[in-house]
Amino acid sequence: MKKIKKSNFEKMVNSLLQSGSTIIAPVLKKGKHYFSRIESFDKISLDYCQTVLSPKAVYFPSTDSLMRYENEHNNVKIIEVEVPKNPVIVLGVKPCDAYALSYLSEFFLKENSDTYIQVRKENTTIVGFTCTHSDDKCFCTSLNINPFDTKGTDIHFTDIGEEYYVESITEKGNEIIKNFNTMFEDSQTIDKKEYSSNPPIKFDLEKIRLTDKFESSVWLDQSLLCLGCGACAYSCPTCSCFDIQDESNPYSGERLRCWDSCGFGLFTLHASGHNPRHDQSNRWRNRVFHKFEYSVKNLGIISCVGCGRCIRVCPGGMNISEHLAELATI
Amino acid sequence: MDPQNMYIPYLMRIEKIIDEAPAVKTFRLKFVNQEDAEKFSFVAGQFGEYSVFGEGESTFCIASSPTRKDYIECTFRETGRVTAALTSCDVGDIVGFRGPYGNIFPLEKWFGKNLLFIAGGIGLPPLRCVIWNVLDLRDKFGDITIVYGARKVDDLVYKYEFEEWLKYPNVKLVTTVDPGGETPEWKGEVGFVPSIVEKIQPKGENSIALICGPPIMIKYSLPLLEKFGYSQDSIYTTLENRMKCGFGKCGHCMVGNVYVCKDGPVFRYDELLLLPAEY
Repeated sequence: MKKIKKSNFEKMVNSLLQSGSTIIAPVLKKGKHYFSRIESFDKISLDYCQTVLSPKAVYFPSTDSLMRYENEHNNVKIIEVEVPKNPVIVLGVKPCDAYALSYLSEFFLKENSDTYIQVRKENTTIVGFTCTHSDDKCFCTSLNINPFDTKGTDIHFTDIGEEYYVESITEKGNEIIKNFNTMFEDSQTIDKKEYSSNPPIKFDLEKIRLTDKFESSVWLDQSLLCLGCGACAYSCPTCSCFDIQDESNPYSGERLRCWDSCGFGLFTLHASGHNPRHDQSNRWRNRVFHKFEYSVKNLGIISCVGCGRCIRVCPGGMNISEHLAELATI
Repeated sequence: MDPQNMYIPYLMRIEKIIDEAPAVKTFRLKFVNQEDAEKFSFVAGQFGEYSVFGEGESTFCIASSPTRKDYIECTFRETGRVTAALTSCDVGDIVGFRGPYGNIFPLEKWFGKNLLFIAGGIGLPPLRCVIWNVLDLRDKFGDITIVYGARKVDDLVYKYEFEEWLKYPNVKLVTTVDPGGETPEWKGEVGFVPSIVEKIQPKGENSIALICGPPIMIKYSLPLLEKFGYSQDSIYTTLENRMKCGFGKCGHCMVGNVYVCKDGPVFRYDELLLLPAEY
């Protein structure tokens, strides 16, 4: 294990910026934190509970160009999109979001690997940070995620006062320590729990057991507050569903992949007018089943990380943590 | 072309357009690049993403048989932005095609068996792929019975091929239209598809049934097939859920944890019974 003085950490970040690395970090704007590209160290604001959006877009942007084309006089020419290969460092990623990034790469790269996301992942270094602030919407601990976990990070920092305690997780992490070896000192292993937030456990995950609850009336009851606006999916660090749309001028255009939500009625609507998930309760049930049952069946991973963003953002007051707690009791 | 990039379509030229029914057309498509044509192959049951550049992509089955080389055909009804743009295409125009995607009808397992096809309306195209495939390998299969219905006589697709199908030995075709959909010249049956299935009393022994059409037609036909001795694992259908990517990522076609696009679209009835009824 290593440690680094905070003054050296600042020097390291500035040095990385000077060497041309793109650094994306939490930035405070009008009272809220957003992952944004930073030009200098002083823009970084690690003193946050939760960013409005997770860093999901670093791998999977909300709108992603799949290809461009020219179509003049019926002579179609396809122009492939070159995904930038410059190194990107995402700094200040909390364990919930890092966990979500590892889920996304597992999902997108395991089978029928997605070339765009693969290139981005290869060129991205995830710098995780132990979570120090949680609120009443946070429920990572209920999903067996600790606010100091390192899953999904390349290198992980824990604020221990004047210094950061540092764990290198991958080769990319080792590379950083190697490149700045004069700044890092050896450290004793510490108990990170003493330095992390500690959101209370809100439900017993083992007791949720969805399989037998597909036909339950609970889905209708719970979904009555749902407006079907999709804000939960757009703010979710693991939601991976997308739409494909063309945007064009008369003679050229672009094929785009855009975030989508299974909460929308149009998501499953057939051309015939038949809709397999015809009302909002079906769609709410699908959201919960996908995260807690289908992902587990397909990849062995629960695809909810307890970040609480969907709760904070819902205009109808849906609260997945309370809904899960209810599911654990029926 | 980067072989890893699954979103890049083949360029296809429209060779032929057939007006099938009101708002329904069939396109015959050929590869613009000969090398694409040479490396492309598909199996009955698979589908693709067809696109008009500037309008987007739409999902249809491949309606021609893999035994007919050098081209693929698709049949579609004009219902939205992409199908409207396809409808206004002319012979010679270039469209995009991604595929083939999905699993297949296991034709080789059916050698020696009788085949019953049940189709309604625009549910015939995916089965027409199998029909021609089977006819091109006619001596491998037993009797072939096709029950095909539509709302009105006008809505029947591939009418111009029916005579050709019947030229092959031991092929029986029963066409029907819903009550009120007949014309004075209509010589086929009048009645809903399930009632025609009941009338012809197919025998389930050593037989495979393939069914595709409106959910209501499938719902009322399945119990009849079971009554006539078709076991659940001898009944096949192909699901046509809304899709975007075609290979298990976009999430649109999910039924439970199953992706219709990659785990299907072909399902046996016994497999279908294990899924939540979200198709």
